[in-house]
Amino acid sequence: MPINVTMPRLSDTMEQGTVVKWHVKVGDKVTSGQVIADIETDKATMEQAVFDDGLIARLVCPEGKQVKVGEVIAVLAEEGESMDSAAVAPAAAGPASSPPAARPAAQPAASAGSPAPAREIVADVEAVEVGERMRVSPVARRMAEEMGVDLAQVKGSGPGGRVIKRDIVLAAENRSSAARPAAAPAQGIVAAGPSAVSGAPAGGALVPGVQSVEVPVSSMRGVIARRLVESKQGIPHYQVSMRFSMDALMALRTQLNEQLSAMEVKLSVNDFIIRACALAMARHPFFNASWAGDRILLHQQVNVGVAIALPEEKGGGLVVGVVRDAHLKSLRQISGEVRALGEKARTKGLSMEEMSGATFTISNLGMFGVDNFTAIINPPNSAILACGAAIEQPVVRNHQLAVGWEMSATLSLDHRVIDGAMAAKYLQGLKQFVETPTMLLV
Amino acid sequence: MTAVREIEFRDALREAMSEEMRRDKRVFLLGEEVAQYNGAYKVSRGMLDEFGPRRIIDTPISESGFAGLAIGAAMMGLKPVVEFMSWSFSLVAADPILNNAPKMLYMSGGQFGCPVVFRGNDGAGGQLGSTHSWCVEGLYSNVPGVKIAIPSNPYDAKGLLKSSIRGDDPVFFLESERMLGNKGHVPEEEYVIPFGQAKVLREGTDCTVASWGRPVHFCMDAAEELAKQGISCEVIDLRTVRPLDIGTVVRSVRKTSTCVVVDQSWSFGSPGSELASQVHRHCFDDLDNYVHRVHTADVPTPYATNLEQDYLPNARRIAEAIRSATYNL
Repeated sequence: MPINVTMPRLSDTMEQGTVVKWHVKVGDKVTSGQVIADIETDKATMEQAVFDDGLIARLVCPEGKQVKVGEVIAVLAEEGESMDSAAVAPAAAGPASSPPAARPAAQPAASAGSPAPAREIVADVEAVEVGERMRVSPVARRMAEEMGVDLAQVKGSGPGGRVIKRDIVLAAENRSSAARPAAAPAQGIVAAGPSAVSGAPAGGALVPGVQSVEVPVSSMRGVIARRLVESKQGIPHYQVSMRFSMDALMALRTQLNEQLSAMEVKLSVNDFIIRACALAMARHPFFNASWAGDRILLHQQVNVGVAIALPEEKGGGLVVGVVRDAHLKSLRQISGEVRALGEKARTKGLSMEEMSGATFTISNLGMFGVDNFTAIINPPNSAILACGAAIEQPVVRNHQLAVGWEMSATLSLDHRVIDGAMAAKYLQGLKQFVETPTMLLV
Repeated sequence: MTAVREIEFRDALREAMSEEMRRDKRVFLLGEEVAQYNGAYKVSRGMLDEFGPRRIIDTPISESGFAGLAIGAAMMGLKPVVEFMSWSFSLVAADPILNNAPKMLYMSGGQFGCPVVFRGNDGAGGQLGSTHSWCVEGLYSNVPGVKIAIPSNPYDAKGLLKSSIRGDDPVFFLESERMLGNKGHVPEEEYVIPFGQAKVLREGTDCTVASWGRPVHFCMDAAEELAKQGISCEVIDLRTVRPLDIGTVVRSVRKTSTCVVVDQSWSFGSPGSELASQVHRHCFDDLDNYVHRVHTADVPTPYATNLEQDYLPNARRIAEAIRSATYNL
């Protein structure tokens, strides 16, 4: 039997992938564990290994082509099997039995010479179509969506490997042991500010009379677009802002960085904000929560996601690196982790582990001199903090005009979980930590 | 109510006609052998005695002539019932029944309706050969302007024939000589059955089996057999194919996700293909398999008895289709 190599699901959110490069060609002998291709997912490019020994009989998916998870990308011939037969064999799982429709009905009057051309044509058509496409009956597809069953993980029991209703019911039953959170949308990607998502007609001029250059949408850009539209359309967002006096924090930061410079510690303003946000959760658990349809989940771990912009030359985009258990970590630990995440994101790319599990997210554009902005919630979070720059400016202190450091921060909130007054109280709590930054040291 | 009264299909037809003739003096019956011979299949037995030769009329062997006569009478306000000894013979009257009756109201701009009922035996009667075994619904249901009833039992036959006679439109009423002797419950009390109302004969959860006329019985046999194997069928008797009660079928398919249509006419361009098409359209996201169809084989009706048996939809072929549709092969 030929062995199908299918597009793997390399992340929770991955729905399709691209074979960026084949490392093998037809006729090559491969052994189990050998890397045969580089697969670009929505997040990263990963290596794809085979799990069987054999000969590459066919490379179904050309380089650069995006295919759905579960689709056949290559076919292996087993030891001793003719490569030709493997190459032409139907790639879909299951025996190539003739579908029932093609079976001629009783033909009692064969001698009457009655032709039945229609049936033969059908038989031809079906024979051609049995192939690479994943076959799913309409009701099975609908049920999979409703029940959250991953079609790529379901083995079809119908003709030609078609996934049918009973396969979905079975898959859902099997899965019920591995209980997942009710709403577990993909994690890891967030965008701040205008995300420039729009449904443009393919190839059409959006602005009449103006010539445009088309930029292909990368996997990551596609995910950003899809998830942020989902978030902005599905979550009742609202924003609450507050200004913080940063004099004490800036002074403390300067002092600490001077004292710790020999140890290569360089605390950023954002490191303080991360710690402050995480500590504030203790008294404001709803900011570290998820809306789950019929209930709200208060997470027992504070994992702060930090939006990281990727360099233009790497195709731009952004990812969210996650500082786990941020409420239990010191400023120094947080600072080190954030720096490492940023460097890795900009060079090698983050692993799934490093991008998933955020329970609250911070986006900071302060380093670009931005005063203030609003961000879109990173589902399934219920809040995101958008931080502007700490700016030295005229301030009023004790009825006197003075010069001081100020920073503006804006929370975007899911109103299903958090009401306005709650948001105000959280910001007050945050303000206390930020304006009395020594509290962040203990 | 008294004890359950069981009468034959042919008696139910006669009761329907006689009751309507008593009720409405405009109703009359004409056809070959309907009067003095009491009907070639004894459907009109005793009607000549009761209603006399002005209302029970023997015609010459000239379908085109008496069908045309009936249409003219209907246009002028009478309510004729035409008996074709076999619907196979209606083919020689194709112009009056297909080209005149269904279009009269339309072509006269509403001046003339055509309240005529054509009725008779349809389908293979048993070794009658290729030319006498027509299932005309395959051809005739294609024509807009007609109503077509294909009852499967005495109760429906009586109720549908009464509403056919009372209605204002031309009706093709398709019976089967293989069912005229079938007995079934028909109450003494008067009732009519409106067109376009399917009946769920058997409830089930795994497969919707939709049919009309004689094959309904084979569907019930197949459902009974499959129930023993754990396949639960919902059998629906459409009763009329024009109008077609698609709603009842759709509701059922949304529950079962699979559908087998059983139609004793040929498959190409048939009521069965129309029903399947409508199910595909209305139930696209509900289907677990394409709609399977069981028809007579795509050949002229064979004469030999064994071949004829295989040619017709039968319980074995229906069960096979249901197993295939439900992935239980």
